[in-house]
Amino acid sequence: MSKAGLKCPNCGSSNIVNDDLYSQAQLVCVECGAVVSEGSLADDPLWGTGLERVKEICRILRLNAEIEHLAQTYFRTAYQHESFINVTLQRKEVLAGCCVCISCRQRNWPITLGTICCVLNAEETLLGGVYQEMLKILNIQAPFVSVVEVIETHVHEYKICKQDVPEDFAEDPKVLTKRAVELVELAGESWIVTGRRPLPLMMAATYLAWQSLNPNRHRLRFSLDKFCNMAKVRKRRAAATRITELKEVLCRLGKELPWVTEAVTESDVVPLVGDILKYRHSLLARALKTHEKALEANCAQTSTLNHPTDEVVPTQLSESRNETESTSSVVQLSPSNKGENQGDKNDDQSEEPAPNWGKKVLFAPPCVINAKRRRVERRVENCTGDEEISDSEIDSYIRSPQEARDFALMQKMLSLPNSEKS
Amino acid sequence: MDQNNSIPPFQGLASPQGAMTPGITMFSPITYGSGLTPQPVQNTNSLSILEEQQRQQQQQQQQQAQQPNTGLPGTSGQTPQLYHSQTNAGSTTTALPGSTGLYSTPIGPMTPLTPATPASECSGIVPTLQNIVSTVNLGCKLDLKTIALRARNAEYNPKRFAAVIMRIREPRTTALIFSSGKMVCTGAKSEDESRLAARKYARVVQKLGFPAKFLDFKIQNMVGSCDVKFPIRLEGLVLTHQQFSSYEPELFPGLIYRMIKPRIVLLIFVSGKVVLTGAKVRAEIYEAFENIYPILKGFRKTT
Repeated sequence: MSKAGLKCPNCGSSNIVNDDLYSQAQLVCVECGAVVSEGSLADDPLWGTGLERVKEICRILRLNAEIEHLAQTYFRTAYQHESFINVTLQRKEVLAGCCVCISCRQRNWPITLGTICCVLNAEETLLGGVYQEMLKILNIQAPFVSVVEVIETHVHEYKICKQDVPEDFAEDPKVLTKRAVELVELAGESWIVTGRRPLPLMMAATYLAWQSLNPNRHRLRFSLDKFCNMAKVRKRRAAATRITELKEVLCRLGKELPWVTEAVTESDVVPLVGDILKYRHSLLARALKTHEKALEANCAQTSTLNHPTDEVVPTQLSESRNETESTSSVVQLSPSNKGENQGDKNDDQSEEPAPNWGKKVLFAPPCVINAKRRRVERRVENCTGDEEISDSEIDSYIRSPQEARDFALMQKMLSLPNSEKS
Repeated sequence: MDQNNSIPPFQGLASPQGAMTPGITMFSPITYGSGLTPQPVQNTNSLSILEEQQRQQQQQQQQQAQQPNTGLPGTSGQTPQLYHSQTNAGSTTTALPGSTGLYSTPIGPMTPLTPATPASECSGIVPTLQNIVSTVNLGCKLDLKTIALRARNAEYNPKRFAAVIMRIREPRTTALIFSSGKMVCTGAKSEDESRLAARKYARVVQKLGFPAKFLDFKIQNMVGSCDVKFPIRLEGLVLTHQQFSSYEPELFPGLIYRMIKPRIVLLIFVSGKVVLTGAKVRAEIYEAFENIYPILKGFRKTT
């Protein structure tokens, strides 16, 4: 509602409105956004039920009434529970956010926990903990939200329309979304998505999509940092790794393009992205065949050196060409049942210390390809539990009397300076 | 004894009772845990024996339905008596090895919510145990300050935690020793190792001058892990098994699968590695893995 008679001290406009969405009412100038006057905190109503907070979050995210009501119901129920009755204000606020999140998911309005995190400006670990607890208390389930569902919303956050950025860098959100979705689907098929946080991946997909839609010199040189600054989005550290992983996948497919003669490296794959995405299904098939041939050649080589047994000679492919969902096509190789060997390829690997099946397939989850070497622990063999326990062993765990005295003395000395100070 | 003759399966049981040494050979107190002394069957409340009796009754009923009346007018009426007399007979037992002819398949827990694994399709992978948590009661009050002072391998910070943290090198384990005399032992890789470690801790406490005993040793939790060596589509798994699964990539990279039978929680990762926890006995871990393996394998082939 407008307040007549007031003038904005900043720009002189008389278009002042009362912003009472938040707990503290403010008078704000519509033209320039200056806060004309603030309501005093003293006569703030107590934070109260927190249902207000639920309503507020729903309004910020522009959710419909049904979701708002559901969220409020959940909040009321959860709030009665002992785990949430006497907790800090911050925890209650986070609970409100979690209720909104679960209601959205159940009503087919996919949002990520990251969005709630941003809205509440809360810590991710706290949010995660409260979310899990709330699910347990309310005994409800959240349908799974895939990356493809949320990427459209994500892309729309980027401020790269024609009015925000120079013409050279502007991009239509719809076109950008379409390409980003294709990139995410490709990432899903090549095991980059599963198990990872969605946000860095979406950022990587958006960045690559933006670069590849108009791969001129300016865009190609534009770093991720600059891109995020321009689009007014907070950069995620992991996005850089995702970009590298995506580029690697794109390279593997780019190599199969018939009209590409030079080698495809990470630095020059971006201009080819459009073509790669367009023909990705056939490129995948070709890449698999190439990979098969390479493995066969490898196998023939090693078999002349070693006993001729089962290297992985993949003959089975599973690929779906007509799927459009990202969770669908599993493109991988499986060990063949050639002859008598039943695909247990790790048996005869005398040369490799820890055979890594990830290196034998075309695409594998990065955590498998870059498997960390674990320290091999020595195992106690043939333990019965009733063995004799030698005295000497036990004595080695007990201090000698002198040692004990020294230790006690040292403790006293350590505590003295503290007491002197205080 | 006409009743016995008309129903062949009972012949084994109709043998004179002197043929069976009552009690000792049939019972293994170790298997049934502490507290069970050899006693007639019906006094034990072992679930497996009750289940066996039920199955036996079912089988008898089936047999009754199949066999025509042998002419004895009171046969059907007498059958219930037979049950009673059987259960009342002290040492007749359904757990006799000789009477396994009564039922062809061993009693197993019902698994309605887990897929049946045909015996031929064994996974061939055995989960390795990674951690065993056990508790034991030392049976006397302890002075934690003395222990912390006189033991080399102990740390005690009462402001942070109200127990002494003690470690031994072999087996490499950690123990939490409380002033009540209760102790928690963690880090062992097998049940026997855990027991040996707990005994060593008890011995240390003994040597420090406390009248420590070794009461109620119990394994509380077992953790196992294994690798199926193929990648797993967690998104698909959470869609098809959503009542058991929870997969939130924003919070944790693995899928949390809560199996009902046996009651085990599995952490399934995209790399194919599986962590199984919540077991009280080793068999539960193996069973849980055998249950999940066909699900994961089935998943691998679907597109």
